[in-house]
Amino acid sequence: MGAKLLAFYDQASKEFSAVGRMKLAMLTLISSVKAGDAPDSPENIKKFEAALDKLRHGPK
Amino acid sequence: MKISTKLTVFYIAVIAVFVLLAASLMSQTVAMADGYEHLLAAPLHDMDAARVVQVDFKKQVQEWKDILLRGHAPDDLARYTKQFHEREAIVSASAKALAEHVDDSAVKATLDEFVAAHRALSAKYKEAYDVYLNGGFDFKAADKVVRGQDRQPTDLFDRAVMQLDDRVRVSVESQTVAIAAGRTRALGLAGGLLLLLGIGGLVIVRGILGRLGKLKAIADRLAVADIAGLVIDISGRDEIGAFGSSMKGVHAALEELLSVANSPTKVS
Repeated sequence: MGAKLLAFYDQASKEFSAVGRMKLAMLTLISSVKAGDAPDSPENIKKFEAALDKLRHGPK
Repeated sequence: MKISTKLTVFYIAVIAVFVLLAASLMSQTVAMADGYEHLLAAPLHDMDAARVVQVDFKKQVQEWKDILLRGHAPDDLARYTKQFHEREAIVSASAKALAEHVDDSAVKATLDEFVAAHRALSAKYKEAYDVYLNGGFDFKAADKVVRGQDRQPTDLFDRAVMQLDDRVRVSVESQTVAIAAGRTRALGLAGGLLLLLGIGGLVIVRGILGRLGKLKAIADRLAVADIAGLVIDISGRDEIGAFGSSMKGVHAALEELLSVANSPTKVS
């Protein structure tokens, strides 16, 4: 449960370090602490993908 | 619904209520003016005309007495006879006109009776006038012919005036009742609408202030990084809901920051 969401945090760390993790939490409203317990639902995954995309390309 | 939309709707509702109240007041004023206009056009007008006829009739009788008292002088006789006939014609014409104008059948019947009695009295006066002239200004003989004859028309006209007076009183009472009913209706409408507005406004303000209070409590905790067990349960599609959502982001970011800070393998 939440493994896929935690993977997004790992990815954000690799690409943007701690600031990226914070921004990801801010955009998804789910911190890594809670992501572990959150379901890997299509909705959550979509939200994290969109947030990571926003980190990479900036707000559209 | 957004707070700005709620406030705009509330503002429009306040304006609508005041427009409605103004329209209601205007309608009541128009109805009241119409009522008084009707009162002035019919019952009061008839009453006024009746009092004029009543006075004219008394003047006619007075002219007759002047003929008897001073008719021995030719000039006075001519003058008072002329005035008597003028007054007699005025009374007859005015009473007939009033009987035709009045719309109350009882008053009309009384006035018709008066017109007939007045006509009969005129014949008596003519007879008495001839007795007066032919008897060498014998006022006693002339008076004997018409003595007490003016009593019936006088009583009839007094009755007509009383009937018209009753009619005026009834019209005024019904107008007063109508005005009181209109006033009660307007007050009820105004009170009801203002109460609705008051309750609506109170609900809106309490809803906004309650949620702002929650938001402030959350902001106070976030300001000192006190996020242990913090749950941000502010939702909604208005500005406060949007602000609550931002707070959730700040909360998540702060949580993440503390997580990173407390992590043994800190992220670089």
